[in-house]
Amino acid sequence: MQTKARQVSGWKVTTEIAKRDLLDLWRAKMLLVFFILMPLLFMTMFGFIYPPTVQVNPYSGQIPSQYPDLELAIVQQDNGQIARNVEAQFIQIAESQGIFRVNEVTDYATARNGIVKGQVTGIVVIPQGFSAAIQADTQATIQVTVDQTNPSVAAAVQSEVAEIFGAIESQISTQYLQNLDPTVNPTFALQPMAITSIPLIAGVPTSFEYLAPSFMALTVITGALNGVSTAISREKEQGTMDGLLVAPIPRQSVILGKIVAQTVRGLIQGFLILGLSMLLFGVVIYGSPITMLLVMVLGVASFIGVGIIMTSLAPEQETAQMMTTLLQFPMMFLSGILFPIAQLPVAVQYIGKAFPLYYAADALRKVVILNASVSIIMPDLLVLLAYSIVTMTIAVPIFNRAMSR
Amino acid sequence: MTLQRTELAPLSEYAIETHGLTKRFGSFTAVDHIDLTVRKGEIYGFLGPNGAGKSTTIRMLCTLLKPTSGTAKVAGFDIDSQANEVRKRIGLVSEKLIMYTRLTAEQNLMFFGKLYGIDNAELKPKIEELLDMVKLTPFKDRSVGGFSSGMRQRMNVIRALIHDPEIIFLDEPTTALDPQSTKFVRDTIRDLKKGGHTIMLTTHIMEEADELSDKISIIDHGKIMATGTVAGLKDEYGTESMLEVFLMVTGRELRDSASDRVSMKAVGRM
Repeated sequence: MQTKARQVSGWKVTTEIAKRDLLDLWRAKMLLVFFILMPLLFMTMFGFIYPPTVQVNPYSGQIPSQYPDLELAIVQQDNGQIARNVEAQFIQIAESQGIFRVNEVTDYATARNGIVKGQVTGIVVIPQGFSAAIQADTQATIQVTVDQTNPSVAAAVQSEVAEIFGAIESQISTQYLQNLDPTVNPTFALQPMAITSIPLIAGVPTSFEYLAPSFMALTVITGALNGVSTAISREKEQGTMDGLLVAPIPRQSVILGKIVAQTVRGLIQGFLILGLSMLLFGVVIYGSPITMLLVMVLGVASFIGVGIIMTSLAPEQETAQMMTTLLQFPMMFLSGILFPIAQLPVAVQYIGKAFPLYYAADALRKVVILNASVSIIMPDLLVLLAYSIVTMTIAVPIFNRAMSR
Repeated sequence: MTLQRTELAPLSEYAIETHGLTKRFGSFTAVDHIDLTVRKGEIYGFLGPNGAGKSTTIRMLCTLLKPTSGTAKVAGFDIDSQANEVRKRIGLVSEKLIMYTRLTAEQNLMFFGKLYGIDNAELKPKIEELLDMVKLTPFKDRSVGGFSSGMRQRMNVIRALIHDPEIIFLDEPTTALDPQSTKFVRDTIRDLKKGGHTIMLTTHIMEEADELSDKISIIDHGKIMATGTVAGLKDEYGTESMLEVFLMVTGRELRDSASDRVSMKAVGRM
């Protein structure tokens, strides 16, 4: 039977190549499993690293802790009635709230050794003269030692200790004020203003509200970036690229087909993350899926050019992979994916804002959680569009040249 | 069916013609002003040591590499300005497997067939016919990744035939094949010639070149060193063995270092 080759339209070829790439993924069952597991694992891991941050008034007695059940040593050097009461109260609050497990230690040297050995994370000393000072209506002192070799835990211990003593102080102050004048309203005297918050969204905010849209943006964008560059370099290396290029098809459809396939793949993963966040972590979605789709597609477009440039320049698959990883890592930490970049020094923030991922994640967060309209996220979208146009303009000629040197 | 406008090939007795065809990679000249002509319907053996410029020439003729200078016509069309017309009329069987290993034999052939604009109605029976020709019909639903090297190469051959090309380029088609598969591929090459196809064959196996070729060119350092019929070359060099002819033309020293440099650039970087 005779067949005859005909010129095929670019769009048809693009679709065929995209379909083939997706079929390839579908037939790699193991890859497919990891394709779903990866985002799930990522979400869970980071969800635990950044536990829910709930701001509750310490006077209500509810003090949330970032590090539950830390070991703390308390050294009683005073032994007066007041000092012993304060110690007992401290232990009661600390342990009932699950903040610290408190060990009573006889002297400071032993307690200090405890820190060195890693048995305790901090020491509270109630020094000699504590009871006497309180009785004389003068300010008494509490001494705190923290493990300076672990700054983040040290800061947490310091602030938790201060908060517990804050609660005890307010009781002492209340009693003092009432003894002075029973008509005084101690609550007003101690805290003339109460600060309450009006929540932006319903429910208790968890870090997943921040992480879910972040990871959607990250997965879609890096997935497409990696996917396109490895797909192309793998085909170059295995020789199948020759099979494509020796056919009478437009060169651009090869790259377009890969982009379409990887974008579809990334979008599926993105929505998968969203679904898992809703199902497993109670994230509530307020935004429109259409707007989310728009942000993600623009996010991919802003990055794909970079992937193509890297693939065209890399001599083989491994180098292409290294190059994309090199780009991904700083991006993940600097573009506000894992934590808001406001925490970073201003100069570093500028680097973070140079990555289009920052704008994609920002826009997606506003859409998913805050139901932002397209007009509100327009500045983000325009930045992404500008990146897309600039990178693609550079990438396409480089790719075409690399394919037929 | 819609009518397609296809350009008519200018009438010529040659399937392939090159004039001063040259390819440089930086300061290295891989192919140096080659003039060759391949008649329609003949099997043209293209021989040379590693790094001589065989694959670079084939890749230029297949429109995978742009020549630095010179011109070439394949099936009557210019390889640079009419690349797509050339592509419609050629098939490439390379040393590497041009098949997606995760896909089945049938899925692969369907995909490549569609790149040539062949619709399902034509493609399905064509695939059946080709699979049957290489005795792979029972394996059509298996992933190509699980195929033996002989089966892979048979797939490689029929992939290049899916659009009935006029000219078929075979770049070392029997390298690393067992004797049965080698015989099968050689028989297929003969059958293709009988079917009126033009074949350009590169090989390191001199008996293969001897057995199959109507005409042979020996290339070395990017230049054609000798051209003629098998009998003509043997006469000229006064020997009965093609291997002796080859060694007389290209010398006896080993070429490992040069081969490395060329294959990295010509094959790895495309």
